[in-house]
Amino acid sequence: MEYVGWDKVTTGTIIESFSEPVENVAYVRPEERPYSPMNSHEASVASWRFIKPVYNRDICIDCQFCWVYCPDTSIISRDKKMIGVDYEHCKGCGICVEVCPTNPKSLLMFDENKPNEEALSEWPEKKKKSKDK
Amino acid sequence: MAEKYELQEVEVWDGNMAAAHAFRQAQIDVVAAYPITPSTPIVQNYSKFLADGYVDGEFVMVESEHSAMSACLAAGAAGGRVATATSSQGFALMVEVLYQASGMRVPVVLHVVNRALASPLNVNGDHSDMYLGRDAGWINLCSFNPQEAYDLTLMAFKIGEDLNVRLPVMVHQDGFISSHTAQNVRPLQDEDAYKFIGDYKEVDPMLDFSRPVTYGAQTEEDWHFEHKAKQHKALMESVSVIDDVFKEFEKLTGRKYNRVEKYMMDDAEVAIVALGTTVESAEVAAKELREKEGIKAGVVGLRVLRPFPLEELKDALKNVKAVACLDRSAPGGTLGMLFNEVSAAMYHSENRPVINNYIYGLGGRDMTIENLKEIFKEAKANADAGKLTTPLQQFSGLRGPKLAFF
Amino acid sequence: MLEMRWHSRAGQGAVTGAKGLADVVAKTGKEVQAFAFYGSAKRGAAMTAYNRIDDKPILNHEKFMRPDYVLVIDPALAYIADITANEKESTKYIITTHLPKEELINQIPKLKGKEVYVVDCIKISLDTIGRAIPNTPMLGALMKVSGMFDLEYFQNAMKSVLSKFPQKIIDANMAAIERAYNEVK
Repeated sequence: MEYVGWDKVTTGTIIESFSEPVENVAYVRPEERPYSPMNSHEASVASWRFIKPVYNRDICIDCQFCWVYCPDTSIISRDKKMIGVDYEHCKGCGICVEVCPTNPKSLLMFDENKPNEEALSEWPEKKKKSKDK
Repeated sequence: MAEKYELQEVEVWDGNMAAAHAFRQAQIDVVAAYPITPSTPIVQNYSKFLADGYVDGEFVMVESEHSAMSACLAAGAAGGRVATATSSQGFALMVEVLYQASGMRVPVVLHVVNRALASPLNVNGDHSDMYLGRDAGWINLCSFNPQEAYDLTLMAFKIGEDLNVRLPVMVHQDGFISSHTAQNVRPLQDEDAYKFIGDYKEVDPMLDFSRPVTYGAQTEEDWHFEHKAKQHKALMESVSVIDDVFKEFEKLTGRKYNRVEKYMMDDAEVAIVALGTTVESAEVAAKELREKEGIKAGVVGLRVLRPFPLEELKDALKNVKAVACLDRSAPGGTLGMLFNEVSAAMYHSENRPVINNYIYGLGGRDMTIENLKEIFKEAKANADAGKLTTPLQQFSGLRGPKLAFF
Repeated sequence: MLEMRWHSRAGQGAVTGAKGLADVVAKTGKEVQAFAFYGSAKRGAAMTAYNRIDDKPILNHEKFMRPDYVLVIDPALAYIADITANEKESTKYIITTHLPKEELINQIPKLKGKEVYVVDCIKISLDTIGRAIPNTPMLGALMKVSGMFDLEYFQNAMKSVLSKFPQKIIDANMAAIERAYNEVK
């Protein structure tokens, strides 16, 4: 973002969401919205992460807990079906993993540098319930 | 649709009733208020107008003045014409949001019925609240009587909402001395008043869902300075719109307003600079001194406190030998604000009159014609001596041993 | 410039009286001012209200006044309030009392030698309006003493000032004004 002078900043420090009007924005998908350069959507926070959530479609039950709890709206879900993680905006906080109710979890934190395919190959087995021990 | 209010050519209104009618005629979208003496009758009258079918807008009773200003600011950001009224402690509670309103460039109109700040508790008029808010980035218009309280309230909407201004505007009137004093007021008819102000022009309204905007962004050292500088520039440049609106109002009503008002200043040797009703009382004193004692006295009243009319003030005082600056607010450990600002203006003037400072009228203490004459006479002594013959700061109308500083 | 001071108790209608008078006078093209000292602002507390009337716009905002007329609408205040404060030689007093003028002056020696008029605004308002609201009768007495307006003109003007009230109340006030106009001595 360019550090413009006083003559170029917006009046009243308002921040436009979009660079052009959008009708019925609730029905326009994020990737189709004309986000303005000042919108935080346009700022990547990927570099904040040391660890990342990896999503396992095979276990997920589409409960949407992660989508509800993610503080950075970085869980991508369409028509109540989980798709994956928006790595441009995920800061690696791990809340999605905390709230995931499946066994084993459908989201797990891995080292940022580990490729997702490798992470998926290391996915843990279902844990036995304590009474079965 | 609101009913038309039958108005006489001349009404006998106190300043509060005058302000309430100006609010009604402006067809405000949202008035959010928490009434406080002496401004209470403004919102009380307004809510009665609403109950009687003369107002279409929303009237929101909130639980504090902080919320009153917050609700006005929010409704303004949403895209409506907004206004409220307050005084003293209520004003003090609004201060945080006053800075938000000017920073967000939302043209809220705030009618301030000036009253002392506690402690000790006092409901009467002085300018403590006006002085408290003077750096808040608002346009400050000052009235000297109920007619002007009405006129300036109408003009406040037109000035603040102008697309080249977009700043909140305060209109000040003296608590009780103007707010509760009934005088002849010549109002505009409803349709003429509204036509003068015009429809509200939305700018970046939050309720435009096709173009969502964020109000109240955080900026740190990398952006804050630029935004505040831009805001200051807008306030400084609002003078041309203020002058235009004053002119347009004069065309409509014949009543002429100037950012600096001058009375008998053409040949004045000594002058009082003041705010509020004292400006008019000082006129009476100046006239009597001219007629009975041959002292060439004049009066300068600040109609617009912010943006500060520095050049106009210099011009008004260009021929005087002595100036008395009258501050109706406890100075809190320094000279009065008017003294400081008038002195700053005159320091770079070709004319360098002797300037002194009087603190007066705190908590509604009567400013009598006799007090004002005494001040003029001391100014005359300063003018004759060509230097200060009194301490820099004195107190007019104070009981007890003489108190003076500097 | 004509200046008047009202002595009243908060709630007796001095402010309404002062504003009503201002309303009527303004209709004749004059400039008016009406204000009050609220003091402790409790119902029943002694208070003062003021009128200024002039042909030119009134610029004087001082509360200090050397009144041409002092209007006392509460009988006890004639004794306990400083009704002669800042008086001039020509100050005229109109005082609400049930006493004959001479007896009142004997009881309040500072009124000796002054131009004093008496009228029982309390009794008149009780008889006509049914409540001790002595402001409109005082205005009737003031019209007689000052000769400001004749009775009929003043009554008509007051009718429009009171137009928001029910007819019964307007009629009672008209009767009160007329009685005070005729009874003030």
